Amino acid sequence: MGLADIIKKGAFVDILRGMSVTGTYFVVDKMTVEYPKEKLQVYPRFRGVQALLTDPATGDTKCVACMLCATICPSGCIDIVGEQTADGRSRPASFKLDLSRCVFCGFCEEVCPEAAIVMTRHYELATFDKDDFYLDKEKLIANQVYVHKEVFAQPTEDTAPAPMEAGTANERGRS
Amino acid sequence: MSGTQDTQGLVPAAQALSRRPSLEELRERKDRTRRHLEPTGDVMTISMGPQHPSMHGVYRAVLDLDGEVILAVRPEIGNLHRGVEKLCEHRTYHQIIPLTDRLDYISGFAMNHGFCEAAEKLMGVEVPARGRYIRTMTHELCRISNHILWLGTSIMDLGTQTFFTICFRDREYVLDLFEMLTGARMTHSFARIGGVAKDLPDGFDHRCRKVIDFLPKRLAEYERIIKQNRIFLKRAKNVGIFTSEDCHAWRVTGPTLRAAGIARDLRKDEPYAAYPEVEFDVAVEYNADVYDRFLVRMKEMRESCKIIRQCLDKMPPGPFLAPDAAHSLPMKKNVLRDSAAMIQDFYQVFRGPQVPRGSVYRCVEAPKGEMGVYIRSEGGAKPARVRFSTPSFYHGQAVPALVEGEMVADMIAIFASVDVVLGDCDR
Repeated sequence: MGLADIIKKGAFVDILRGMSVTGTYFVVDKMTVEYPKEKLQVYPRFRGVQALLTDPATGDTKCVACMLCATICPSGCIDIVGEQTADGRSRPASFKLDLSRCVFCGFCEEVCPEAAIVMTRHYELATFDKDDFYLDKEKLIANQVYVHKEVFAQPTEDTAPAPMEAGTANERGRS
Repeated sequence: MSGTQDTQGLVPAAQALSRRPSLEELRERKDRTRRHLEPTGDVMTISMGPQHPSMHGVYRAVLDLDGEVILAVRPEIGNLHRGVEKLCEHRTYHQIIPLTDRLDYISGFAMNHGFCEAAEKLMGVEVPARGRYIRTMTHELCRISNHILWLGTSIMDLGTQTFFTICFRDREYVLDLFEMLTGARMTHSFARIGGVAKDLPDGFDHRCRKVIDFLPKRLAEYERIIKQNRIFLKRAKNVGIFTSEDCHAWRVTGPTLRAAGIARDLRKDEPYAAYPEVEFDVAVEYNADVYDRFLVRMKEMRESCKIIRQCLDKMPPGPFLAPDAAHSLPMKKNVLRDSAAMIQDFYQVFRGPQVPRGSVYRCVEAPKGEMGVYIRSEGGAKPARVRFSTPSFYHGQAVPALVEGEMVADMIAIFASVDVVLGDCDR
């Protein structure tokens, strides 16, 4: 062991260097979030549980029971029965979605010609009751509260609510 | 040689490793590092996996051990078999896309891309320039996220716990980009026949540039941590040597082959998407051991950053999805405005793409190796047969050749170094 090594050890050079790395993490923003208490805001394209949108004019769903989503669905989890209203409009008599089969690929949203079915920001789907996975029309319409993209105002595939400022994941915006 | 021989005597000096060894030299080195034991009858058979904490997925290896030396390995796969290839026969080409990114769920887009490239070749669809560039960029992001995850988990198998969390921290930046771009963090379902599902969102360019400017600094940090780690060097250098002829014999591709000195990269050799239009180097190393596979992947991540930057710089304007009414879904914003696009939408969903009879094979350079897709069509919207030739399957079958004669403690290090994902292997 040379003299330099002895001085290095005596002055705790390596330990100080190591502690300086540790010390920087007191001032750097942390990467993690305390999940159940604080949640990350998801991006506009995020594919969570589906919602059926309603037409503000009539209060009924925008869905016209064209069966596109039920046909394209790769896992076949959507089941629609259509009916005619008195004024000749087509609407779903029943709209069932089996979440336990859904793979969240977003095809239903992509093919919908009326922008009636959308994927929302809601992703916490764990439940004690299996029946909660079987969504009917009422539940899907109730899911509108989770809609996080501007599908009413401008019917494009995605219109970001607020431009996300770039940077680290910490700046991603917490809800 | 006895099974208890000191490993340290087998590690040559670092200088000897830095030059390019010839194939004979590698063969000889492999022979020297493996222990050739005569079966004594005192063999212990243990089962490693399928629920082993350090196994990468549900892979079962039945090991015959003499002391600490592995005499024979019998891999057992199939625990994660989902019958994807059979499911493909009952779905239209559009509906197969969400199945493919569950093959290798670590690099979902690479699988989407491989399938779409094959289907487009069969249908004769040409992808517009912007679609090709977005695909290339997403594929490379995929490669980065795959390699970072690989790095974290395989180093954890060698006993470094903290490094795993460091890698996951940095993978998060890439996954955030994925969530912003595709809507999902792992199972993207982003490629479409004729292009990609969506255009780049607002602010993506800026964010992506920040991440790829920042990642090489982190990669340098990784290298600093690992290259100076004496434990890692002892466990990685000259361990699990798999020469180029072994790779050819077992159809091992990707970083493992490139670590054996063969500059085989489908991105250069059989270019697809926008790869001919970007500049990058193929990462090659020559010692064919666990350490060089690590080096190859580190280099590849740097090259990926370069490719992504070039893609963002050159990103052409225009459509991201082919305006091919017979084969691809329309763009969503047109469906809501234009009746022709709506008719195309209905046609594609109810009838599907009308595909000529014939068969096609197309392969892409997925992060783990060559991912090939064979499609046989008998006309109509559904393929008659789809076959995925995924890298993990071939890497998993090569495990006996990789580890026989090595110490049992090195089994996981070597297994991890060839990068096997069991979802990809069992399909």
